[in-house]
Amino acid sequence: MKLNSTRLVIATAMLLAGGNAAEAHIVAARLGDFYMGVVHPLTDLQDVVLWTATGVLAGTLGAAKGRWLIALFPLGLLVGLLLGQVFGAASTQLADAAMMLAIGLLLAAAAQVPTVLLCAMAFAVAVIRGAANGADLAPETDRLLFAAGLTCVGYAAITLTMALTAVFKRTNSDSATSWRAIAVRALGGWIAAIGLMMASLALAP
Amino acid sequence: MSLRLPLPLTTAIVSFALTQPALAHEQAGVAGGLVSGLLHPVTGIDHLIAMVAVGIWGAQLGAPAIWILPITFPLVMAIGGVLGVLHVPLPMPEVMIAVSAVILGVAVAARLRLPFAAAALVVAVFAIFHGHAHGAELPRAANALAYGVGFVTATGLLHLCGIAIGTLTRWPAGERLIQGLGAGIAAIGCYFLAQGVGAFA
Repeated sequence: MKLNSTRLVIATAMLLAGGNAAEAHIVAARLGDFYMGVVHPLTDLQDVVLWTATGVLAGTLGAAKGRWLIALFPLGLLVGLLLGQVFGAASTQLADAAMMLAIGLLLAAAAQVPTVLLCAMAFAVAVIRGAANGADLAPETDRLLFAAGLTCVGYAAITLTMALTAVFKRTNSDSATSWRAIAVRALGGWIAAIGLMMASLALAP
Repeated sequence: MSLRLPLPLTTAIVSFALTQPALAHEQAGVAGGLVSGLLHPVTGIDHLIAMVAVGIWGAQLGAPAIWILPITFPLVMAIGGVLGVLHVPLPMPEVMIAVSAVILGVAVAARLRLPFAAAALVVAVFAIFHGHAHGAELPRAANALAYGVGFVTATGLLHLCGIAIGTLTRWPAGERLIQGLGAGIAAIGCYFLAQGVGAFA
């Protein structure tokens, strides 16, 4: 038994010693650029805040309005990625801040946003963030695989956020002053405040 | 089964286990901005007590103040932050921040029941001064978004902390405790006010 333990420890030590370095972007592996497209927006604070804000806004408005985003948001990411490739990289900091402020204020006010406006805002967010995600690509990156990864994660993230928000808020049954509705509105106020701070810091001399 | 590892082997295993993590994005300033934003509202005692006092007073006032304040307060404070970042001057900011602690502390201690509009106006004016101070003092190297996320989160959590403390008003003993806390906040505010007007110089 003692010999087995020793062997186990030696084997563990050898495995640890022979382990390769961890790579967050597995660019060297097959389909690595697909995973890069998946992970890239999830490690960027702008994407996390804006995607969450858009999903929460759509979720609060209910499934009937929000379901359009399931197709529109990934499509917008794709369009943004293409536009970014054609027109080159540009700073999106001010546009990000403006979208955060607008979406945050709508959430805080619990505004009943028309479907067309919701779709337009979500598409704008997707285009801006798609272009920003495509700006950092290295020449050797497979654009098609990266775009596929980005689109898939966009679809998954927006759908999941909308669904979770709709379930949390229980749109049809809760009143405007229930704690769930207030929590969502407070989150909106925080997002708007973050957007405002970010805009001022971007414009600061 | 006894598992006794020789020291060199233990050292080797620990060394491999403690290898550094891989980072997907090396966004310079993100972590620094987040930490700066989170710490800024909690490192100044005068700011901290005023934020908590707003939450307690909101809880004492009840609806609609208790639910409107968490929604609007960080936003109004961010407006003050914008003025600070853009170096728009406000009159006597340090004195006004100390005055805010005194007045909010007295309001809590006296269970002051103002009409909602008047209470909101008082809190909004003070929020702008607090936000201005944070905006004017922020580190230039900080990542803008990360700083904003940290700053707003810390402010909101302090405010929620005050509301949580304010729920003690449901019990008579809790009410007295909170009134004592309000008096303490007002006293600390008086100290900062005296310091602000140069009484200790």
